[in-house]
Amino acid sequence: MLAWFTPERKTWLFQVNPALKFVVFFALLLITLFNQNFPFAVWQAVFYGMLFYLFSGYSIRKLALLSIPLLISFLSSALTLIMFGKGDTVLWQWYLIKISEESIQHGLLLGSKSLSFGFVGFTFLLTIQPVLFFYAMMQQFRMPSKYAYSFIASFRLIPAVTEELQIRRNALKVRNIQFSRGVKGVYERLQMYTVPLFAESIRRAQRIAVAMEAKQYQMGAARTYYYTTHYSRMDTVFVIVMITVIATALSLAFI
Amino acid sequence: MKMVHSKQCPAGVTNLRLKFPGEDSLVFKDLSFSVQRGEKVLLLGPSGCGKSTLLQVLSGIIPNSIELPMKADQIELPESWGFVFQDPDTQFCMTYADEELAFVLENLQVPRDEMAPLIEEALKRVDLQLNTSHSPINEMSQGMKQRLALASVLLLEPDVLFLDEPSALLDPDGTEQIWSSIKQAAADKTVIIVEHKIDLIADWVDRVVLFSDNGIIIAEGPPAAIFADYQEELKRYGIWYPGVWKEYLELNSFRSMMHNRKPAGSSNKIRLKDFTGFRGNTPKIQAECAEVKSGDWITITGENGTGKSTLLLSLMQLLRTEGIYEVNGEPVIQKKKKRPLPKGLSLVFQNPELQFVTNSIAEELTVSLHGMPKDQADMYAEELMHLFNLPDSAGRHPYQLSTGQKRRLSVATALTPETDIVLLDEPTFGQDARNTFAILEKLEQLRTEGVTILMVTHDMEIVEHFATSVWTVADGIVHTDSAGGGRNARMVHA
Repeated sequence: MLAWFTPERKTWLFQVNPALKFVVFFALLLITLFNQNFPFAVWQAVFYGMLFYLFSGYSIRKLALLSIPLLISFLSSALTLIMFGKGDTVLWQWYLIKISEESIQHGLLLGSKSLSFGFVGFTFLLTIQPVLFFYAMMQQFRMPSKYAYSFIASFRLIPAVTEELQIRRNALKVRNIQFSRGVKGVYERLQMYTVPLFAESIRRAQRIAVAMEAKQYQMGAARTYYYTTHYSRMDTVFVIVMITVIATALSLAFI
Repeated sequence: MKMVHSKQCPAGVTNLRLKFPGEDSLVFKDLSFSVQRGEKVLLLGPSGCGKSTLLQVLSGIIPNSIELPMKADQIELPESWGFVFQDPDTQFCMTYADEELAFVLENLQVPRDEMAPLIEEALKRVDLQLNTSHSPINEMSQGMKQRLALASVLLLEPDVLFLDEPSALLDPDGTEQIWSSIKQAAADKTVIIVEHKIDLIADWVDRVVLFSDNGIIIAEGPPAAIFADYQEELKRYGIWYPGVWKEYLELNSFRSMMHNRKPAGSSNKIRLKDFTGFRGNTPKIQAECAEVKSGDWITITGENGTGKSTLLLSLMQLLRTEGIYEVNGEPVIQKKKKRPLPKGLSLVFQNPELQFVTNSIAEELTVSLHGMPKDQADMYAEELMHLFNLPDSAGRHPYQLSTGQKRRLSVATALTPETDIVLLDEPTFGQDARNTFAILEKLEQLRTEGVTILMVTHDMEIVEHFATSVWTVADGIVHTDSAGGGRNARMVHA
């Protein structure tokens, strides 16, 4: 599965320090979240879309595939507000559905916001390597190493857990376990899967923690880094580009 | 408690008392133990006697990483030490081999520029050959993972090496690999080992220390002397001491079991022709022509990752299959989706805990008996508990059983009155000698009662002495050997 996340080409975004990229993108998302201006939201979505489609370095096919969830989140958030939102200038009404000028605007505002979130989030995830991201967080932003390594170690555990889930599913089938219908069945399933998987995961996590300490890992101790991350010229370029994007969107919206 | 570093004695403890929270009895009561510099010591004893706990105390893992109530008059902790654990899958926190080794170097604050050569050297010291040191750990065999664990520990330049059953979860190849690496890399170090499979190290260690059930040292001395004088204990504790199979085969109970052994019948239980099992759309296992007779005990051998488990999953219809597949003369319905399980077949997976579905032993044995009256089901469960030597307290939670009991229970759960063919995925893997023989004897008993057995195993002794017929799997192809017997199997493996 991880093989899927190898880009076709490494764009300039890949050279940006991943920790800096995280902070800048996080700031962009905050702006998106608190903005109430409709044209500004649309222009942001347009620019972040350009970032995603032009500079993530992935093939058209993969980008198209990733666009499906984006489209769904856009449609679902926009349509609900358009059809059921408040508004006085009613354009069309049918039973519960009431479309007004205001509701259309609110719907499209919300839709653009969710698109922006999707574009920025995907662009970030597609252009970083998780391990390097946490190394950069430790080196550039002084994230305590215990958090960084717990995240990194948990990546290793994902395949083990999915495999166990598969075995559990097969085992339940072989044991001929039949679940009730409806809500009760959901509860039974939850219990049948979570208990053994949790027991196994907790045990595994504890063993890994002991093994890490046996390798002389000490919380809070000074350490060197196998992957050294630092700022480069590309980071300046990145910050300037992002400021320009926001400034352009603002001027297009308000002037 | 006095902690000292001594030059003469790199690790030791005087009058150790330790207990697990919630348990009444002490694990150790005034235990004293120490090693000499450069000495290789092997700790033997029944499971649960506290050997692993002692390793953790001697290294300082207890109480530094794992807090337990303990006290001792004096503890000598090694200045530098390394610890290799049992489970190859829970020792690494990074994804790639080089990153894992670098993790140790980072902890030691080795400058970045000096890391690469040290990583290469560490891999060489354990003879781990990788195309590049940046190889994913997930793709390695269990034996390679243990070697990597050893390599990472060697970077600590340890005075003392603690090995907690490093080969317990490895197949014979992996076992050989890890011990040869250890012997090569730790020749000049102090080594303290806990292990049940001791064939390969029995003559390498200088001293054997034998523990009793309640954590008391009952004997110590050179290996030859201990093996000669304490055979009874070694046998009782289930230790795989050299020659354990030979002795087992000479037992009267084994001989009478095998005397006039009921041969496999002539009627077909399973018939495969041009049979293929798929994972997704890729064919993963193929059997051109294979037959299983009633009362057969078929062992399935082959290297790791060649498709032995896939074969069992395919037979159980947990994977999509194609071709001719008959059970008891009836064709099995092979569908793409919503596949029904073939009647009469049951499968026992490797990890017992993932197969338990209830909160008590008794329920565990009755839950699959749909449509049987309750008193009859209870009787049936009782019989199985008796047959598999499970504890009498039927209300015990399955998770509270010992590892051997868990394994036996998981085999027992597969048996319903309709089951006459049992598929087993390495049922004796990681078990001590006593449990292994117990499981094999139960299976033989089932076989004489008419159950047909297909079992994946790496143990050539089992193949030789218990199989009525041998299948080998290589590169996803099943090779049958209807002539039967171990000798042919050996030749295939040579």
